[in-house]
Amino acid sequence: MENVSQIVQKVRQAPWRVQRQWIGLFLLGLVAVSMVAGLYLNITVRATLAGREIQTIQSDLIDKGRENSDFELQLASLNSVKSMQKRAEGLGFQPASPGDITYVVVPGYAPISAVDMSESETASPDLTQNLALQPEYTESLFDWIARALASSAYSGGQP
Amino acid sequence: MKMLPSWRYLTVAVIMAIIGAAIPVQIVRIQSSPEVAGVTGQGTYVWETFYPARGEIFDRHGNLLAGNRTVYEVGVDLAANPDKQTIALAAQMALGMDPAVAIARMTDVKPNITYITLEDFVEPVKADLLKQLQEDARADPSGRNLEAVHFKAHLMRSYPENDLASTVLGYVTRENKGYMGVEEKYDNILAGIPVTELIPADPRRALEYPHIPPGQSIILTIDREIQASVEQILDDALLSTGAASGTILVMDPKTGEILAMSSTPRMNLNDFTRVAEIFPGETPFNRAISQAYEPGSVAKIMTMSAALDTGTVTPATVYLDTGVIYVGGIPIYDWDQGSWGYQDMTGCLAHSLNVCLAWISTQMGNVTFYSYMQRFGLGHLTGIDLAGEAPGRLKLPGDSDWYPVDLGTNAFGQGVAITPIQMVMAASALANNGQMVYPHVLYAKVGESRPDKAAQVVGSPIKAETAHTISSMLVNALESESSDALLEGYTIAGKTGTAQIPTSDGYDENEINASFIGWGPVEDPRFLVYVWLEKPQTNRAASVVAAPIFKQVIERLVVLMGIPPDAIRLQKTNQ
Repeated sequence: MENVSQIVQKVRQAPWRVQRQWIGLFLLGLVAVSMVAGLYLNITVRATLAGREIQTIQSDLIDKGRENSDFELQLASLNSVKSMQKRAEGLGFQPASPGDITYVVVPGYAPISAVDMSESETASPDLTQNLALQPEYTESLFDWIARALASSAYSGGQP
Repeated sequence: MKMLPSWRYLTVAVIMAIIGAAIPVQIVRIQSSPEVAGVTGQGTYVWETFYPARGEIFDRHGNLLAGNRTVYEVGVDLAANPDKQTIALAAQMALGMDPAVAIARMTDVKPNITYITLEDFVEPVKADLLKQLQEDARADPSGRNLEAVHFKAHLMRSYPENDLASTVLGYVTRENKGYMGVEEKYDNILAGIPVTELIPADPRRALEYPHIPPGQSIILTIDREIQASVEQILDDALLSTGAASGTILVMDPKTGEILAMSSTPRMNLNDFTRVAEIFPGETPFNRAISQAYEPGSVAKIMTMSAALDTGTVTPATVYLDTGVIYVGGIPIYDWDQGSWGYQDMTGCLAHSLNVCLAWISTQMGNVTFYSYMQRFGLGHLTGIDLAGEAPGRLKLPGDSDWYPVDLGTNAFGQGVAITPIQMVMAASALANNGQMVYPHVLYAKVGESRPDKAAQVVGSPIKAETAHTISSMLVNALESESSDALLEGYTIAGKTGTAQIPTSDGYDENEINASFIGWGPVEDPRFLVYVWLEKPQTNRAASVVAAPIFKQVIERLVVLMGIPPDAIRLQKTNQ
């Protein structure tokens, strides 16, 4: 019985076994660190790409806004009073005089005296509110750890 | 089994450990390396100013009067070792820029400056040409280099109608500052609020970029079609009468909304650099609000209204016009130096008798007369929402330059200086049941409910009954004279004004101001029109030069505003 115990003891304390345990522990730590670092890199890359995309979209938005202004102005120039008069005259029209007009009484008809862009048009919603990402997608690993620690410290202080 | 030596295990383990440890170390190193930080802008912040797009201006039907268009800032990155000679030549070809000036701009810079603006507000066509030259240089093996040239697009103000309503709109300088008219008055809301913030270059923090709302767009009460017609009529009138300048105002007398406002000179707002040339010296940008002058006989409508309101006279009151009346010891004569005998009050207005109106004012007395003139707003700003309004001047008893004779002369519009907009506001009381409305050009802000749907009444200088009476008298006065202002089928009330022009040596005998104020249709006024021609050369009577212009204006108005003749309108009302 004593011999068996000694053999087990020797096997347990064999140098190769101790080394293997250390190597295993080291590799385990390495894998863990690599996984965390890889995850961090992956998230950082994705966040950076998303940020770049947002920057590009914001830039495009500004460009499109300018293009829109240009088109709006071109349209207004084409529809300007002078342009329209010239086109109308070219088509053989001339300004009507009061005598040229025949009025017909239409009960209930109320002519439009002005456009009402004020009430029909609602303010454009702030899209950035919907685009707001959760902190998990934007903060760094260290930020996350700091936030987690701060959060646990805060909750620990509660009765 | 043969055991391997332990040092071999150790060596392999160390190697593996080094390789394994190198992986996370390398990951962290890449993350924190300056190269990556340079690409991602990690930890880098820059102060940046964001200028919001200037708000647009529309007429009452939604037609664009003032918008924005793209122009470019062309700059040179001095840190990129620019090929200055090539850039200067390219700037000459594309921008028409003196090469010496271009080189000087790139050379005469302070030591720490790394970027200079070669030229700003470059038209897209020119910028495209320069970009094409840049492309050509890339393909050219001779070594020409335009890579240091950079383009930055931004917006600038533009006016698609050029000079239409220019005196109402005002203009915007390259510094995005509004001057005159609406652009100056509403500059704070049109321009928006520029924001200067510390911006992270790190794309992961892109959502921290500020959201800059554009400037507020506004809708004016101006009707583009009416404005264009009025401007055309005014230009033709100046040509046909030889007048030095002119002003025409069209207002809705019930709401105070300005439908058209034109005066000369006007300028193409896209070429605002000529403003000093077009408006030399003290030439007002908008005579309708900025030039006070003696209105002459159009002011008689206020004197008569005051007298009717106080009961000093009635329409049937008869006055014996002997051709002269002494007020404060000074004789006052009629415009023709004649005597018109017995005249009722309508006759006094129809023949525009100075003596009769001077008598009326003396019957009212200083206190009553000037109290009414002040209630009509004379000598005070109307508060119209346009920059540059002048207050005019109404001398009052007790002022150092007021004399007793002023009571008589003020009654027919002499010795008092008012602006056309003051005259229109005062007359609105006569057209609008005694209620005087605030003249304004802002109809609404885009996206906001209208704050001014109801007319803003600024006072009730006379009773409604008085307003109806004076309107009827003015209708009769025009019809009895077969005025050139009358339009067949429509009932119009109005009054001419022929005023001598004061100089430092007394009144000019050769030059006059000719004006006409009128409104209609009298039972339900839709328009109030004021015409003023300064120094017409073809005739010295407003009934000859100003009244026909008023008629031309209302001829267009009834068509553009869809106002049926009285017979049709009353038929519709009775249904």
